[in-house]
Parts: sequence; structure tokens; C-alpha cells
Amino acid sequence: MSGRITSRKLDGGAVVRLSGEIDLQNSPDLRRELLDRVADGDPVVVDLAQVSYIDSSGIACLVEAYQMARRHGLRFALAAVSPAALRVLRLARLDEVFIIRDQVADALKGE
Amino acid sequence: MSEPPPRRQSGSYHRQLDLVAEMSIAFASSHDLRETLQRGLAKVAAFIEAEAASFFLVDEDTGDLVCEACVGPVDITGVRLPPGEGIVGRVVGQNVATIVKDARSDPHFGALMDGRTGFTTRTILCAPLSVQGRCLGAIELINGVFRSGDRQLLRALGASVALGVINARLARAMVERERVARELELAAEIQRAMLPAALPEDFPVRGVNHPARQVSGDFFDILRRSDGRIAFAIGDVSGKGINASLLMTKTCSLFRCLAKTVECPGRLLSAINAELCETAGGGGMFVTMVAGLFDPDSGSALIANAGHEPPLLYRDGAFTDYPAAVPPLGIEPGLVPADMPETWIALGGGCLYLFTDGLTETRRNGRMLGEEGVRRLLAEASDLPAGDRPAFVLGRLLPRNRAPRDDLTLLLVEDRRGRPLLAKRFTATPACLSEIRRLVATAVLSGGCPPAVAADVVLAVDEACQNIIRHGYHGPGEVALEIHRAEDGPLDVQLIDFAQTVDVARIATRCLEEVRPGGLGLHFMRSVMDEVSFLPSPAGSGNLLKMTKAVP
Repeated sequence: MSGRITSRKLDGGAVVRLSGEIDLQNSPDLRRELLDRVADGDPVVVDLAQVSYIDSSGIACLVEAYQMARRHGLRFALAAVSPAALRVLRLARLDEVFIIRDQVADALKGE
Repeated sequence: MSEPPPRRQSGSYHRQLDLVAEMSIAFASSHDLRETLQRGLAKVAAFIEAEAASFFLVDEDTGDLVCEACVGPVDITGVRLPPGEGIVGRVVGQNVATIVKDARSDPHFGALMDGRTGFTTRTILCAPLSVQGRCLGAIELINGVFRSGDRQLLRALGASVALGVINARLARAMVERERVARELELAAEIQRAMLPAALPEDFPVRGVNHPARQVSGDFFDILRRSDGRIAFAIGDVSGKGINASLLMTKTCSLFRCLAKTVECPGRLLSAINAELCETAGGGGMFVTMVAGLFDPDSGSALIANAGHEPPLLYRDGAFTDYPAAVPPLGIEPGLVPADMPETWIALGGGCLYLFTDGLTETRRNGRMLGEEGVRRLLAEASDLPAGDRPAFVLGRLLPRNRAPRDDLTLLLVEDRRGRPLLAKRFTATPACLSEIRRLVATAVLSGGCPPAVAADVVLAVDEACQNIIRHGYHGPGEVALEIHRAEDGPLDVQLIDFAQTVDVARIATRCLEEVRPGGLGLHFMRSVMDEVSFLPSPAGSGNLLKMTKAVP
């Protein structure tokens, strides 16, 4: 199963939803999408609920977008992180770096 | 005696030239030498106004002069003259054209033909078919008014006919060589068809044969029996070329036929020996051969060796050899009795190598590889997946850009009871990573590991492949992956790539305090696996990554 990347715009910002497997094959698309959304100047939330697998190339995209958002003073958060994704974030000890919320709405609101 | 009156316009220089040119072209483009000779002869006879004419060619085997074509009232085609006989014999012997104005007074004239045919020979003009000092025969005109100009004309014609004959003979030889080459190709195809068909990738018995010439005197065979056991054989026929390959084909067929019913390899060799002695018809040719029966369930083999290179068992880093118990096959029926000694070998997780003397006698740097050299090579190959070993060994032995001196054949029998959960070679591309993850997950689960272990190994292999794609090849490249698990032991993962060897000292895990996008892969591998080590590849160039994971 390959991964899917979809974005939608809500009142509070952009939500990028990932599903399936995120790896070297589709991480270049993910990187483009995340950087574009951050460049729009709105808060960005990445919905990881449906992620069954993510590797270091996918994590690297999240890190790069997070850094860019911080430089622009924008909110960048992760939401509904699946156990598979959380395990990899923990391996990299990035669970301490990212803002992680259970619900997309909470992540958008900055609560 | 006065010169004969002027006659025919033959004297015309141009017409003579035209005739020579016409004949040259006719011979150059001739496909049927005899027909061209016949037509050319008629033209020449008419031109010079002779009553009869004939072409004689020297028989290359006997030296006889044979009449290949003639025109005139009497057909003498096929008539043979011993070397030196008659006017024709003299012309060929001396390589000089001649005019005989009164045949009956010439001592060389043999009146025999006239007597036999009722023909009366009065005058003769005879010229050699000669080119570059080589005389292939003669052209003879009979009963005309011959002048010295005619002699020169006939000499010139003789030279062009000689060229035509040489061309035709070359063409015939070429056609013959083509025919032989086609037949050889067919023989080679039949031989290739006799080698075992493609076997499953994880089959425990595999072989490879590389003929020195088009056809081989070596053979091997692998036969799956219905009871799950595998019959195998390797053999080498003395000598090379067609004779050896015919005997090889015969021996191979006999094995194929007998191995289906005869269980004991010793009795099988004895039966083949009896058949070869009865029908091979001496000629000093013989066959060295090992036949065996392998039981994959018990990891043991029963073999019988008739005069063949000792098979080698490689196990735990050491070799054991199994020398021949009887002389080669095809020499005498009594030499290979039905109860000839057989050897039972417990492979114990090792690999049994059988090979022909093409391996031991391969020269490297001018020195024969020898048994020691072969052992070193096989030990080296044993680090590779079994399926890659035959190609690896042959790759080391085959001389670059030319055929090997001898046929090379290698057969290996592997005890795969502790076989890998996964052994696969693939081209690592981003697109195939998901397929690799699926295969790894299935393999690890099939090895009795819990899902959490499978998830860890999947991540580690994925990250390792990414590194190879991104930093090793800078693009897609070949990767060989193997996953083993000894009974209830840890999981061993091995990845071999063929990219430039990486300086191990430069591989460092990133510092996690520093938040940056890259460099996480190696950290993931080290986090989820218990051991991760980067080594130079046993294949020479490239890298070997070994990872171990304890199974709770």
C-alpha cells in the first residue's frame, strides 16, 4: 500500500493529512506540500492518524517544515499521531520537539 | 610447308579480349563450376574452330587428371589419366602451353582414347589452367588449325579459368564450414537442453556449466524424485570436442534414465559403466563421474565416485574431501562392480561442492589453481547466498575476453535446514521499498518472531536500503538481502551492496540534541537492532551490513 497526501484549508489554518506508508518514494511530494503550506503563511497541522508506516525520510520532511514554520513565527503541530508514527517519532526523540495533539481541532487552536 | 590461309576473324585482338573478359566474369559469378566449364569450353572451341575440346582438372587427392567437361563428337567426361600421362599430362607437369601439329608422331600422345572411341586426333592445342605458378589442370582443343596467337589466347583463358576454379573451391569450403558450424550449434543446443531446467531460487542443489568450446565434455544433472530426495551427478569425459560431447550426451541420458529407478548411486554408476563398455567402442575415451542422492530433510547425501575429482564438503570453515573409490567409467565392465563403495555424508549445515578438473587446472597468473586454490575460492564463495555462488566462482575463473581452456562445471549441494527466512537480490529503488518491507515482514513473522520485532527489522532494512540508494549508488543499485534465524536464536540480517566501499570510520549516528532533517536513518537502525556493523563485502567491492536482533 502506498501513501497518500491530501491538504485542506480550514478557518484556523491548513491541515495536511497523511495516510498509508510514507517512505523515500513519496517523501519528496510530502516535503513540497508541507513547505508550500508553510509558505502560505497559515498555521499547519499534519494529521497522522492513518499513517501505517513512516521512515526517516518522512520524519525529515516534518522536521524541515517545523523549522521553516518557526522561522516565520507560524504554528506547526502534529495531530492524532498513529502508533506506528509515534513509535518512530519517539525513536528520534522528536516527540519532545513537536507539538502533538490528539485532535486536529485542538492542534489548530493551539490548545 | 606454307602457313595456313587466313581464316576466322579470331585474330581480332578485341574479340580475343572480349572472350577472356566474358569467361572471367562467367567464372567469377559461377555457382556451378561444371556447368560454367562446359559452357566456356563450347565458346572457346567455337571461337578457335576446334572439332573437340576438354577441361582436365587435377584430382587433389590422387594427382590424376580428370576430364570435367568436354565438347565434340565423343563424350570423355570423367575419364582419368594418371599424372604425367599424355599431352595433357605433359602440359600440366611442365606448366607450358603447347601446339601439337601431328598428334600421332608425338611420343606423349596416347592413342588409347582414339582406339576406344573411334575418334581420330590430328592436331592438339593444350594450355595449363595456371595461376601464380599453381597448375590446376589443362584445357585441350583438338583438330583445328592452331597458331601461336591461339596458344597465348588459351593461356590467358586458362589463367582466368584457374582463378574461377579456386574461387569455386573456396566457396564450397566455406559452405561446408557453415554447414559444420550450424550442426555444431545444433549439437550445443541439444546439450544445453540436457542440462537441468531452471530450478526454484531456493533449491538446495544447483549447478553451472561453461563449455570451453561450442560443445562440452562436462555435464551435470539434478533430478527431483517423487519421494522428495534429489538425485544429482557430475561428470567429465576425457578429451574435448565432438567425440567427448557425444559420449557426454550418452552418459547424461543414461543417468537421467537410470536415476528414476536406481536408488544406490554405486549401482547406478556400475550400470552406466556396463552400458558404456558395451557400446562406447573403446577409442580410449572414459568418463569420470560422481553420482549422489541427497535427502534435504536429513541434510545427508549418499555418493559414489568413479575416478572423479574428490567432492569437497565445506562445513564450519573446514573442508573434507571424498576421493574416488573406483576407476573411471567406460574402461572395463569389471572395474565398477554393482557393490562399489558408497560414502554417506552428513552435511551438518554445510555445503558439498562437486566440480570438474577445469576448475583445479585453471591457470591464474601462469600457475595452476590446484586443489588449494579451489578450496580458497570456495571458502570465499561460501559467504555469499547459495544461488550466487556458482556465478561468483565462474566469474573468478573465466579468463577475460577469451574462452576457458577447459570446460568448467560446478555443482553444489546445500543443507538448507537452517536456511534463510529470506534470500533475495533486488534493485533498490525508492519504488520497490514497500515491496521489500512486505517481504521482510512476512519472512520475520514466518520465523516465529512477534510483530514488534518484525516492525523493527522492517524499519532497519528500509533505512539501510535508503542509505544504499542515497549514499551508496546515488540512485538505484543491486542489493542482496538475507535474513537468517538459527533455531530459537536471534535474527541475523545481512545486506550486501556493490557500490563503492564506505569508510566505516566516517559513519556516525547524528546527535539527537540537534534538530535537523537528515541523518536519522542510521540512528533508527542502531535503535531498533541490537547490533549493527558495516564490513567490506566478501565479494570484493561493495559493503556488507550485518544486523542482529534478539527475539524475546
